[in-house]
Amino acid sequence: MDSVTTAADPNQVPRVTAISADRPAGRRVEVSGVWKAYDNGPYVLEDVSFTLEPGEFLTLLGPSGSGKTTTLMMVAGFEQPTRGEIRVGGRNVARLPAEQRNFGIVFQGYALFPHMTVLENVEFPLRMRGLARREGRRRSMDMLEKVGLEQFFKRRPRELSGGQQQRVALARALVFEPDALLLDEPLGSLDKRLRETLQLEIKAIQRRVGISILFVTHDQDEAMMMSDNIAVMWNGRIVQLGSPIEIYQHPRTPFVASFLGETNLLAATECGTDGKVTQVRFADGSLGLVREPNRGGRVRTAEGDVVLSLRPERIRLLGPCDSADGVISGILVERTFLGRQTRYVVEALGQKLIVSTSEPPLPNELSLGKPVRLGWARGDAQLLAMIHD
Amino acid sequence: MGVPFFFILRLSLSDGLEHYRDVLASPVLGRVVENTLVISAATTLVTLVLAYIYAAALWRAGPLLRSLLFGLVLLPFWTGVLVKNFAWAALLQDNGAVNDLLRGLGLVEGRLSLLHNRLAVIIGMVHYVLPYAVFPIYAAMIAIDRQLERAARSLGAPIRKVIWHVTIPLSLPGVYAAALLVFIISTGFFITPIILGSPGDMMMANMVDFYAHQIVDFDGAAALSVLVILVVSVLVFVYQRLPKEGQYGSV
Amino acid sequence: MAASEPSILVQGAPLPHVGRRERAGRLLLLVAALPIAIYLLLPTLVVVPMALTKGQMIQFPPEWISIHAFTDYFSDPQWIDSTITSFKVAVLATTIACIVGLLAAIGLHGKAFPGRSAVVGVILAPIVVPLVVLALADYLFFAKLQLAGDWVAIGFAHSLLVTPYVFITVQSSLVGLNPSLILAARSLGARPLSVLRHVYWPVTKPGILAGAIFAFAVSFDEVVIALFLQGPDATTLPVRMFTSIQYDLTPKIAAIASLLLGLAAIALAAQGALAFRGYARRRLSAT
Repeated sequence: MDSVTTAADPNQVPRVTAISADRPAGRRVEVSGVWKAYDNGPYVLEDVSFTLEPGEFLTLLGPSGSGKTTTLMMVAGFEQPTRGEIRVGGRNVARLPAEQRNFGIVFQGYALFPHMTVLENVEFPLRMRGLARREGRRRSMDMLEKVGLEQFFKRRPRELSGGQQQRVALARALVFEPDALLLDEPLGSLDKRLRETLQLEIKAIQRRVGISILFVTHDQDEAMMMSDNIAVMWNGRIVQLGSPIEIYQHPRTPFVASFLGETNLLAATECGTDGKVTQVRFADGSLGLVREPNRGGRVRTAEGDVVLSLRPERIRLLGPCDSADGVISGILVERTFLGRQTRYVVEALGQKLIVSTSEPPLPNELSLGKPVRLGWARGDAQLLAMIHD
Repeated sequence: MGVPFFFILRLSLSDGLEHYRDVLASPVLGRVVENTLVISAATTLVTLVLAYIYAAALWRAGPLLRSLLFGLVLLPFWTGVLVKNFAWAALLQDNGAVNDLLRGLGLVEGRLSLLHNRLAVIIGMVHYVLPYAVFPIYAAMIAIDRQLERAARSLGAPIRKVIWHVTIPLSLPGVYAAALLVFIISTGFFITPIILGSPGDMMMANMVDFYAHQIVDFDGAAALSVLVILVVSVLVFVYQRLPKEGQYGSV
Repeated sequence: MAASEPSILVQGAPLPHVGRRERAGRLLLLVAALPIAIYLLLPTLVVVPMALTKGQMIQFPPEWISIHAFTDYFSDPQWIDSTITSFKVAVLATTIACIVGLLAAIGLHGKAFPGRSAVVGVILAPIVVPLVVLALADYLFFAKLQLAGDWVAIGFAHSLLVTPYVFITVQSSLVGLNPSLILAARSLGARPLSVLRHVYWPVTKPGILAGAIFAFAVSFDEVVIALFLQGPDATTLPVRMFTSIQYDLTPKIAAIASLLLGLAAIALAAQGALAFRGYARRRLSAT
């Protein structure tokens, strides 16, 4: 176990909250220091904190078991935090049961009432709120029009396609103007093309209606495409929170670096820094320059061990006379042409490194088994804030 | 297998439809049919209420309790009708346990005549058919998507409204199936009316026996049997057409 | 990473609000179901104590405790005779039912043809037809064959009644059997008997056993058909009990009833063990 000197709390870092909604609606949701354990078992959530601003699209991203759905369920009111608070619009909602929290939820599998028509499904929350029948009907039809399903109002859910059911679920969750929309992996069971279409639709609806969305998914492409901000979760903790660009370009831990997109992780030792740029030495003696992360402290171990993250698209195959901020020598073992990219696998430093470029391989390209040199620019390599997760 | 039925049919039709007319003209028939329908309907109603509660308890119980409740409802299933009727007869008789209990609790003065009447028959019949009703209702309940309850709550429905708008409608197919099944079984009861009921509680099955062994008019008995089969077949046909659990399809 | 101090509103115990309500609802259901459970259990509970009474009359609670009711039963040749008859009948019925049920289930396995549901309907018909109708039909049939009053007739009649149960259990045990396995076996040269022995038998064994247990129990307890087909030498135990009950409720009957209960309990336990073993085996093969 490394001796750790500084800790950087992702939430103390001032976040650029880019909110894409035109006119933000809803109330702010604050999750503070939430821990959750079931019946004296181990903690499934540890110290989870984040804020969902009105109009913001925030995604909880992580692999299965990372606690993202549990977190969503706690915001929704179906689970209770063991420790910590959840506030909506400044008010503590701990004592509020799910039916009194004003959130619209789209569940995995949509949970449309099979014995009711589409219209009755959408009307349901309005009926529960005591709205007059006619007014409720009018608003529901309006909502159905907004999602383009008004001619299906008399159908039953099982007569609709997956994408249509999804839209009914959305309509039902939005019709009563909730404080926020909570979506639990709603696109998981759909095929790729439909998923992409619906991603765009959800995004468009969100922009138009201005509602805040808390989105749960394990699909990082989806998260990057839709979110204003992403909270990456692992093992019940939020390991990094930031905008998609920020997380992709400045991952803090090996897990985050490899979960979003692909990366090569290289172990090295620090051997000098001026605060802005650091020189590192690799196991085979080669040196390289890396820019320091400009936000938050980086964990510094006594021995000076570091981990570099190098994205495949940021590494170049160097010609014999080329130079770069960092150079590694290795052997080319694999070359694959995939149409929109060419991927090379290079053995170096005892690992298989992946390099990708959008250029097609040249006819007189290096043959397999021959030595190659890889290079990068100092701004393209990342020193990870933590070397273990 | 169809051979015995054939025999009945043939016998009943010997001498043409005369036997049918005789049977249909019998003054007892009206009374017996009425008995059968009333008792079966009453049994069905009571059974449905009890079965629904029990099935709901089964559904919501934790794994250990569920196995226990299951076992409790299966055991009567396996004991023969005779043992059950005997036990009820012993319990409901004038100096039986139930009477003693009621008197001990101070609820009654003298002795209630609990045996050899319609009440006893219904008690015995409900006891027999209850397991048959619990299973279809339970099956319908576990087919209900558990997310639906959460969805309803998230949309603002308190628990009682969730039950009214979601749970009950979606369990109804099971209830219909149970009702029909129980009714069909009830109409065929033979032993229970004899042991627990009075002569005035005679049911259809007893009447066939009456014709066969008392009057020794086998032709008439045959005719009556055919009528019974016809009615039961219609009921079974309706039962087959009923959608059972999962009627609305999963979404 | 040092953990930040959680802002503590509630320390330790989870907030009880929602959980409490749901648990209260569950409790309410259980409380409502309890009397129903007692109602279901009542006859079972009282029969045995009643059989152990010292007195000559049935009463609950009984005057403890003597087994004279049981000895009365065992020393009465008529009753023992009936017991043996019931046993013979049940064995015959179960055997026939197993063979026919097995063949029917195998025959229909994996084959879809128009009218299949009609055939299945005919096979399952005896379950829904009122017993008395079956009884009458059987009587007329066997009377023609001069067999009415012989225990063999009752055995055959019962087999008609219980075959559907074996059919159902065997059918469900065949559900997992891929029909193409049969084709594969035949293409490798297996003749029908071998197919039966090597392909069907291992799969259907538990189904047959389960069906047989149920068939035996049903036949042993059956009254109506046995009543119609009874003869001086062919009075089954339930029929004798039935006649006896109509006159007088004696502890001897309670004793017999207790024994029948014991039989039912054993059968239920056997079924449970079978189901458990099947479940355990399937879990093992799935890993």
